[in-house]
Amino acid sequence: MRNAGEILMRVTGLVKRYGAVCAVDAISFVVPRASVFTILGPNGAGKTTTLEMLEGIREPDGGEIEVFGAKLKRVTRGVRERMGVLLQDGNFEPYLRVRETVALFASFFRRALPVDDVLSSLSLEDKKRAAVRTLSGGQRQRLAVAVALVNDPELIFLDEPTTGLDPQARRNMWSIVTDLKRRGKTIILTTHYMEEAEALSDHVCIMDQGRIIAEGSPRELASGLGQETIIEFVASRLRPADLEELGHCGKAARVDGERVTLNTDDLVRTMEALLAWSKERGIPLANMTVRQPNLEDVFLSLTGRRLRE
Amino acid sequence: MRGVLWIARAHIMTALREKGTLFWFIIFPVFLLVLLALMFGRIGNVGEMNFDLGLVNLDTASSTATVDFAAIVERAFEELGKRPALLKEPLFTLHRPSSGDDAEAFLKGEENMLRLGRRAAVVVIPKGFSEQVRAHAMPSSFSGSTATPASPAGETILVYYTKGSDASELASSIVEQVLARVNQEVLAQAGLFRSQETVPVETRFIGGKEIRYVDFLLPGVILMGFFTNGLFGVPGAILFSRDRRILKSYWVTPLSVGRYLAGFSLGHLALCLLQFILLALLGRFAFGARVSFAQPIPVLYLLLGALTFMAFGFLIAAVVRTANAGMALANLLNLPMMFLSGLFFQVGGLPSFLKVVVYANPVSYLAEGLRTSLGIGTGQFSETLTFAVPLAWIAVCVLIASRRLSWDVVR
Repeated sequence: MRNAGEILMRVTGLVKRYGAVCAVDAISFVVPRASVFTILGPNGAGKTTTLEMLEGIREPDGGEIEVFGAKLKRVTRGVRERMGVLLQDGNFEPYLRVRETVALFASFFRRALPVDDVLSSLSLEDKKRAAVRTLSGGQRQRLAVAVALVNDPELIFLDEPTTGLDPQARRNMWSIVTDLKRRGKTIILTTHYMEEAEALSDHVCIMDQGRIIAEGSPRELASGLGQETIIEFVASRLRPADLEELGHCGKAARVDGERVTLNTDDLVRTMEALLAWSKERGIPLANMTVRQPNLEDVFLSLTGRRLRE
Repeated sequence: MRGVLWIARAHIMTALREKGTLFWFIIFPVFLLVLLALMFGRIGNVGEMNFDLGLVNLDTASSTATVDFAAIVERAFEELGKRPALLKEPLFTLHRPSSGDDAEAFLKGEENMLRLGRRAAVVVIPKGFSEQVRAHAMPSSFSGSTATPASPAGETILVYYTKGSDASELASSIVEQVLARVNQEVLAQAGLFRSQETVPVETRFIGGKEIRYVDFLLPGVILMGFFTNGLFGVPGAILFSRDRRILKSYWVTPLSVGRYLAGFSLGHLALCLLQFILLALLGRFAFGARVSFAQPIPVLYLLLGALTFMAFGFLIAAVVRTANAGMALANLLNLPMMFLSGLFFQVGGLPSFLKVVVYANPVSYLAEGLRTSLGIGTGQFSETLTFAVPLAWIAVCVLIASRRLSWDVVR
């Protein structure tokens, strides 16, 4: 195995335009080997366009891609032999069976793993004779991972791998990614779920409107917000004046429906002020939680919007 | 090569497992062969034709005569009303008045049935027929004729039929032949006719041998099967796979467009071969087709046909954006290309503006080339032309498809 920490991919000034719209606006980043590199951002941020340029199915309008130590104008067959891709909107022949589908993709590569080994590593042995069209969402996504891994790739692209999956299937996918990382694979992942980025990533790139607005490890990004603490609670029948008063309790206050979020640098003083306000106004503070900032808070503080808005 | 074979295999398996595709690939051509062979394939075969014939004998008074000529005529038709063998149809189903029926009233009823198309012909033996035949035919004779009295003696047998009905015209012609034979027998018995002195006549077909409809039909249905596969199957599979992002999943692997198309074409040709085997076996064993495809030139035409229609499929896939639009365009091309080609019917008598379509249509050349090479009929086009026109179409289609066919991603 080659050295972890070695740069596997280097992207410089990557640009993609669709008419007047700049979908990807001169982004640059590096992906270390044997790591999970996540591009986090809301829908339409340019994550998939970025990935598709790296996968070689979209042509960049500018910039440079260096992968496996070579600068490329186009992704070559040799590069494709060493990478595996799970597309966001990819699909398989609905009337083929699971085993046939993996064998079909295995035949496209010069070197491929035994099909049954790949199926068993993704707990698909029981489904190997099932037609693709009969699979559940989670099973279909595991098949897509099986197809992406059939050539034992060094570099794996996973574009929104858990979108549309139920919580159980999402957890399964997370454990697959964790296992791949443990086996020394390099994974480039896109997601709009901040929990996913936090749970899986070594390095996160936050993207919005075609640009990278922040990057670092999840811990580095959250600590970028300083010593802030977040207080959240549910309060009903709030008036505009209440929000102003709450703002004085902490650093900033936001109301999302009945859910109130307060940011503070001085937790004790804010808690005292908040309890006094609650007693005085006769408004109970239901479901109160106190927590450290996460990637969602980072995105909110950078853009003023939530990831899934 | 492994990838090419797997793509071919995947194409075949998908086609055979999907009910909609299976219908167009296998069931529809088989159904068409069975339907057309049953509808038209039996005309002209003895034991497989049956006509409803009204037979009215108005000469009932002759029963006291020494020789009842009316009864001889009746018996001749009775013989032809008998089943020649088990499972075979008699030539005529006779409709005669029952004893006690008023013959004149029955005749009126039969004439009405003829008008309604429920009788192919009505034969009427007139009153006093036997008496007059005896007077004139011994030594004179009688004659059969269609509606017009042919003998001044009045012993004419009347045959009614309806113009414009093929069945009725065919039946009346058969009735005339029957009556002519009865006439000969009567004359021969009277010593006035010697059959050995007649001029022998033999009918021969141009082309050297008789062409049976099923032999004419079978190559046409096989080409139509290839045609449907190409026009609907090829763009359907490509556009569906592209729209559903199945192809996109291929394009992130080392599989190239060239290898994909090679595998797809191989799978498509294998499906055409499967369809050919099925239709050829059905034609031979269910309908008695005698045509033999196992010759180099017919095989070349079959291959050329499958390739031409596949190229048309690529052309359709290249000029539309969605699978639905592809099916609409295939439907638009389907009818003129299939029916203005001589695939199922002769197209000699078409107006000039439709003949343009026939001459531009590669199906016309393939159908004629294949049939001529199989010895079924003669053609109006030279052999060179029957190869050159489909090849030119392949070149045009492939050229356009290679420039216009979109994979939705960089390839």
